[in-house]
Amino acid sequence: MKVLVDIRLMFVRKMKETLRNPIYILSSLLTPILYLALFAPLLKNLIPNTTNVLNVFVPGLLVIIAFLGGLFVGYNMIDEVRNGVVERFRVTPTSRFALLAGRVLRDMVNILVIVTVFVLISLPFGFRPDLGGFFVFVPLLCMMIITTSSFGNALGLILRDEDRLSPIVQGINLPVLLLSGMLLPMELAPTWLQVIAHFNPAYYVVEAGRLLVAGHITDIKVGEAYLFMVPLTILVVTWATRAFRNAIA
Amino acid sequence: MTENVVSTVDLKKYFTSRKGVVKAVDGVNLSVAAGQVFGFLGPNGAGKTTTLRMLNTLLVPDSGQALVAGFDVLKDPGAVRCRIGYVGQSGGSDRPATGREDLVLQGRLYGMSKAEASSRAAELIDLLDLTDFADRIVYTYSGGQRRRLDVALGIMHRPQVLFLDEPTTGLDPQNRANLWKQIGKLKATGTTIFLTTHYLEEADILSDYLAIMDYGHIVAEGTPQQLKRQVSLDTIRVTLGDPAQNPAAAQVLEGLKVVKSSVLEQDCLRISVDNGEAALPQVMKALDGKDIAISNISLSTASLDDVFLEKTGRSLRDTEAEGGDR
Repeated sequence: MKVLVDIRLMFVRKMKETLRNPIYILSSLLTPILYLALFAPLLKNLIPNTTNVLNVFVPGLLVIIAFLGGLFVGYNMIDEVRNGVVERFRVTPTSRFALLAGRVLRDMVNILVIVTVFVLISLPFGFRPDLGGFFVFVPLLCMMIITTSSFGNALGLILRDEDRLSPIVQGINLPVLLLSGMLLPMELAPTWLQVIAHFNPAYYVVEAGRLLVAGHITDIKVGEAYLFMVPLTILVVTWATRAFRNAIA
Repeated sequence: MTENVVSTVDLKKYFTSRKGVVKAVDGVNLSVAAGQVFGFLGPNGAGKTTTLRMLNTLLVPDSGQALVAGFDVLKDPGAVRCRIGYVGQSGGSDRPATGREDLVLQGRLYGMSKAEASSRAAELIDLLDLTDFADRIVYTYSGGQRRRLDVALGIMHRPQVLFLDEPTTGLDPQNRANLWKQIGKLKATGTTIFLTTHYLEEADILSDYLAIMDYGHIVAEGTPQQLKRQVSLDTIRVTLGDPAQNPAAAQVLEGLKVVKSSVLEQDCLRISVDNGEAALPQVMKALDGKDIAISNISLSTASLDDVFLEKTGRSLRDTEAEGGDR
């Protein structure tokens, strides 16, 4: 299959880029580690009925790592558009889907490495995830990465300008984070805020993540998160592939 | 009869901007014969790049037909892509990779095996003099080095036709001359080269055949020689060692078939000829035969700028500052 070969070639190309500059992975860990060290201790007295604060807090951080890791890839895309790399590939018979998928897969590998390292760091702080539950959580994180990375890449390709990309990704970034319940559970929020949160994919994944880490694999909210994320991922990937097909870049 | 590698019929592309409709390409008919360097000359914004992007499948024409390497760009873009190479204005080499890696990747994208791609990459590194830096990261390349890699990427899969969009823009004179040399080498391998440029000398030196575009139309085409001869004659200026011999010299020159007319301007004989390069040795020989000593002789040929001026009513040099690329 030509498309699989192309995806592999594009993935290897981007992966080499990461391996040449692995500092990126370390720098992505800094923010969540600061949250873990300087914010998590505040939660102990705030969240009622919880024996393990980190089991509530770490899943939220993992969703944030996944969300931000994908959202900001548009800048790299703009770089490549400007250097003519995208145009060069689009003149070859390379599958358009592969042009997107190779990048998204690389982002997924990068971010999963960061997630793994962060989980390992959290263990000595007291994070105690249910192993089975955690493995049901990982596909949700992957879908989060695929969605945001596809979105970020397509946005970079369409806008082709950092000054136009910035307000959009920043405008998405903060509301999604605040409404995800990542810092504090949304149960503490007034009703209207909870209603708005239900339109936020990150909210579902954070909620499901907390339940899964606590071992509640069969909870209805886990199903909800999958029900929300699967169609969203398909939708965004389809849209992004179309952007790669049509772009004049 | 030579086969056409590129041919278009009434190709059109309009863009709608806030100011209204821009007729970027407005009915272009082109034929590019196999094996030649086809120069596409025009000021920035003339529609050269837009035309090129329709030919290389990046842009869908509004109307008209374009056949490239035997396939219709609209009906079978995949087949066209397999047979063409393209080097855009911004190049296309991947900055964080090494030149060699990028070449191998390019070959693999065209379906070559790893071994095939590696040996072809080695061949091109040799051909385009990339050896010194092929295994360095592209970020470290100079503009001229990157340009050569870009060209190598464009011909990795031995395309029938290579499209070069303003390949020497931004290069210093030395690198420009170097790239011209490389383009000459490519031509020798039998690759048809379709080249856009807004540099007159470049179009003149490189092209076997030339089309001049302005405001979305082809305003003139032919070999550089044909085009120049359409508008003016070449001029030879002769200054003699002994001005007293001027009348005798004029008489000799009038007798030559190649000389259209000769005028004495101060101490200099100004001779108009059809083809200066061919006439120059004849003039020298004729004067020498009569023992008339030449102290100075010079040839000025008609320039493409004269052609452009005649066809569009303005000088190409004046238009360079206008507008952006599209």
